[in-house]
Amino acid sequence: MIRPEPDLGVTLGRLRMKNPIATASGCSGYGEELAQFYDLALLGAIVTKSITLKPREGHPPPRLAEVRAGMLNAIGLANVGLEAFLRDKLPALARFEVPVIVNVAGSTREEYLEVCAALDAAPGVAGIELNVSCPNVKEGGMEFGIDPATLAGLVQDVRRKVSRATLIVKLSPNVTDIAVIARAAVDAGAEALSLINTLRGLAIDPWKGRPILTNVTGGLSGPAIKPVALYMVRRVWEQVAGPRGIPILGLGGIQFVEDVIEFLRAGATAVSVGTANFVDPETGPKLVAGLREALERLGCGSPGDLTGRLEG
Amino acid sequence: MAGESVAGGSEVAAPRRLDLPLVAKRAAGASFTRLVLDAPPDWDSLPGQFVNILCESDPQAVMASEGRVLGDEEGGEWPQTTGLELARRWPLVRRPLSISRVFRDAGRVRLDILVRPVGSGTRWLASRPAGSTINIVGPLGNHFAPPEDDRLCILVGGGCGVAPIFGLADYLVSLGRRCVAFLGAADVHKMPTAFRELPEPTHHQVAATDAVAEFAESETPTVLATDDGSAGFFGTATAAIEEYFRTLWRGEPVALYGCGPMPMLHALARIARERDLPCQVSLEGFMGCGIGVCLSCAVKRRDPTGGKAWTFRLTCRDGPVVDARDIVWQ
Repeated sequence: MIRPEPDLGVTLGRLRMKNPIATASGCSGYGEELAQFYDLALLGAIVTKSITLKPREGHPPPRLAEVRAGMLNAIGLANVGLEAFLRDKLPALARFEVPVIVNVAGSTREEYLEVCAALDAAPGVAGIELNVSCPNVKEGGMEFGIDPATLAGLVQDVRRKVSRATLIVKLSPNVTDIAVIARAAVDAGAEALSLINTLRGLAIDPWKGRPILTNVTGGLSGPAIKPVALYMVRRVWEQVAGPRGIPILGLGGIQFVEDVIEFLRAGATAVSVGTANFVDPETGPKLVAGLREALERLGCGSPGDLTGRLEG
Repeated sequence: MAGESVAGGSEVAAPRRLDLPLVAKRAAGASFTRLVLDAPPDWDSLPGQFVNILCESDPQAVMASEGRVLGDEEGGEWPQTTGLELARRWPLVRRPLSISRVFRDAGRVRLDILVRPVGSGTRWLASRPAGSTINIVGPLGNHFAPPEDDRLCILVGGGCGVAPIFGLADYLVSLGRRCVAFLGAADVHKMPTAFRELPEPTHHQVAATDAVAEFAESETPTVLATDDGSAGFFGTATAAIEEYFRTLWRGEPVALYGCGPMPMLHALARIARERDLPCQVSLEGFMGCGIGVCLSCAVKRRDPTGGKAWTFRLTCRDGPVVDARDIVWQ
């Protein structure tokens, strides 16, 4: 079994991670699925599927379309709902001895507040990732994520309800300038930012002449979006996160250890791995092992030494 | 009264990510390829379970592998690669394929996988030469459950969907159960098996044959059905089953098992409902992960709690084998 070295540790707000590798929301379920392949304690953190106040069935299939170097998904925030999550999923997750970051989605301000308050009070929730960027459902919170004033209002209110868990705001790439949104979130009390969520996209069956996804559009993820994600992490780091000392949880197309190094250099403190888990369920611990080797090669004592370090 | 036919799945082995040697490759009819993979001695899977296979993402490797295989007597003939097709080849997510049969011999385990080369991933997979390594995650999903009594098992496979049905016949026969198999396809050339000689048409008659080696090895009598009448019964496999009930069936209790296209499974479910027979079907699903994480392979199922008319369940985790009564047929 691969053992991470202690010097890989990073801090995301008040959340201490033993290494900077986390799973991305929606790509690691509620933990038990990936736990069939490795000890989740090897990871820095696990980010759950989005939780909403009420259970959601999600969109009718097809929900996924493979595209070149990526995939589109429109799951529709299918999840067990807050009550079942607290009752069944969270206690099971707690057994894995890995910090749990719960991703929260909502359609109204009240819904976000109720879910965040309940999660903050629940033992075993180390972080809350506010999903204000789901591109696939009308009530997925994206209207909160594309307007700086609306987002600031929501984050301010949520901040008052969250005292124990670290509050992370997950940003949408589907905006004109992500730095404007990032600044609004930080000013309103976000302790960390995660970026990017999926890019809205469309896949068409050329012969049937119709969209592949029932939802018509979906969120693009996978290697195809990595350059976009790197650019946005860099921009947010330069404009907001770097000067303000706010950590970034970077994600978008990470598959190999080189990708992790690139995200750190762009400005990330930690990273999330999403679609790559589908290609190789053991990606997480492989990146942890690979990162330790890579840092040695680069002569770095910790991942933090690389954060934001880009020459020229 | 239909017996309880809840598909099995509670006591399956944990999936692993494994590099398996491809020890042999054979043509299975004109359109299919059988891959034989060497599995570790402790491999533990049951009929109906599947593996999720990593396909190549490097177009140059795809071309190289096809270059090796074109004109090769083992690989058969594959379409020439055009630039356009090459540019399309970016398999990212794994391809879920049924474990067709499992052979155990002197501590060795071999898995038979039936591949229909249709898209970028499966075409690459079918072009792999013997001696290469195939990365799998598995075994995944639940499995067919044998009936609780010694009733006759009627098995039906449609096209490539017959893959897990071959292994199911092996398994049920090893448990001492009696089986009769039905294999349907559009025409005799689309049957995923290598015939020694092409079977004859039997027109509107249902007649058993031993022409399908995969069933003959378990001594399972087999009825062929083709949509164009080119071999066996002239009509669909489910029409052949109805004809079987009318003509050859001796009134004994029956359990139905099926895997194939949705219209075939729907027709089978209708037969089961009309005759009040237990019926398990294996569903095909387009999957992102195969392990219950990505939630893409959702299918409308009867809500087990009875609280709602239906609920989405996952083909990979809550399937692929499902009690036909639990599916909300569209």
